[in-house]
Amino acid sequence: MELDAAPAHCITCSDEGLPMRVLVLADESGLAICADESGADQSVAIDLLESVAVGDDILVHAGVAIAHMGRCRA
Amino acid sequence: MKFVDEYRDAELGRAVAGEILATVEPGRHYKLMEVCGGHTHSIYRYGVDDLLPENVELVHGPGCPVCVIPMGRLDDAISLAHQPNVIFTCFGDMLRVPGSHGTLLDAKAEGADVRMVYSPLDALRIARENPDRDVIFFAIGFETTAPSTALTLKRARADGIKNFFCMCNHVMILPPLRALLESPDLRLDGFIGPGHVCTVVGARPFEFIPVDYNKPIVIAGFEPLDLLQAIQMILLQLKEGRCEVENQYARVVPNDGNLRALEVMSEVFALRPHFEWRGLGFISQSALKLSDDYADFDAELRYSVPGVRVADPKACQCGEVLKGVIKPWECKVFGSACTPEHAIGTCMVSPEGACAAYYNFGRFAREREVV
Repeated sequence: MELDAAPAHCITCSDEGLPMRVLVLADESGLAICADESGADQSVAIDLLESVAVGDDILVHAGVAIAHMGRCRA
Repeated sequence: MKFVDEYRDAELGRAVAGEILATVEPGRHYKLMEVCGGHTHSIYRYGVDDLLPENVELVHGPGCPVCVIPMGRLDDAISLAHQPNVIFTCFGDMLRVPGSHGTLLDAKAEGADVRMVYSPLDALRIARENPDRDVIFFAIGFETTAPSTALTLKRARADGIKNFFCMCNHVMILPPLRALLESPDLRLDGFIGPGHVCTVVGARPFEFIPVDYNKPIVIAGFEPLDLLQAIQMILLQLKEGRCEVENQYARVVPNDGNLRALEVMSEVFALRPHFEWRGLGFISQSALKLSDDYADFDAELRYSVPGVRVADPKACQCGEVLKGVIKPWECKVFGSACTPEHAIGTCMVSPEGACAAYYNFGRFAREREVV
């Protein structure tokens, strides 16, 4: 089950969650710097999450973090 | 990457596939719907269906937001893009989705200023950089992308930005699921629930499926092991005569969802009385518009749009594909007149669309079977 060259998210609608790791917390613009699966940096709005810390794994949709990964156990 | 790599382990995948084989009852046919287009994409991409017994059939659901947008809304979008002094922004391949007289890409070729963005926040940045022009964002998506649009509009208002507008096409997943469950065309045994929608709305809203319709649903993640485990959990419920909402994706999905996201959405959006879905027709209270409080940002109030209902091309069977009534390859134009390069229907445009996902990945396995 190796990854192939296909895009990891839906380029049509951005409607797919991308796992990312927080590298730098939000600046005045409210955007944190996060690394995606390939290691590339991206700016992400983290306003919708509580208590985000550097090193957290988060789920990002269309440039906005909507969930923590690994924090909840239903 | 943590929480990802361990869910792509091939050996574990084969082990879960063995458990599935041991769980199914010979002679019984199982029809399970993966609601989300992201699941459809993962199933074909990783060949998950190749690991299932022949009597477990996966049916694709209506959870690709591009695929369910009717042609009339595209015509409205193209009309807005042609307005003087407008910069029209939208997600990636939305440019290639056909309206009745062409695509947004055609509009761009004709001189309209149409730009691709990854996030509504990118569209807001364009508005900041172009204060003398109106910037319209074509907002689509389920409860996963709706919070991004809502957050962007809140920021626009907080920053006093007056030249940013939104054409809102956000839809919700529960109303079409209920419509499908009421449909006489379709017999389903269970559902693979949309994991990322549930990060926002939580698991509880799906309880009507076991309670009212006596069907199990398991909320699932998007890696191949997530899907295999979710399928095994549904089959186990059926075997044991149970019927409930289970959460396979517990590492991400809380039962109550994301309360901040829900709060922002309820502030910025209001329910539309009804909305047209491609293939499913009009479904009441299934889509969002901007609330009265945010009416100043509503592109459809700022500009008039045709608002004309347009029938799908006759050759296109996206509706039947979206309802799970036919498989992509059973459509008359699949892979011939309709390909990702020259799509007739929306299901072939979006990588999450069942037709495109099958065209890009699944058809090779089927060709091997046929040979």
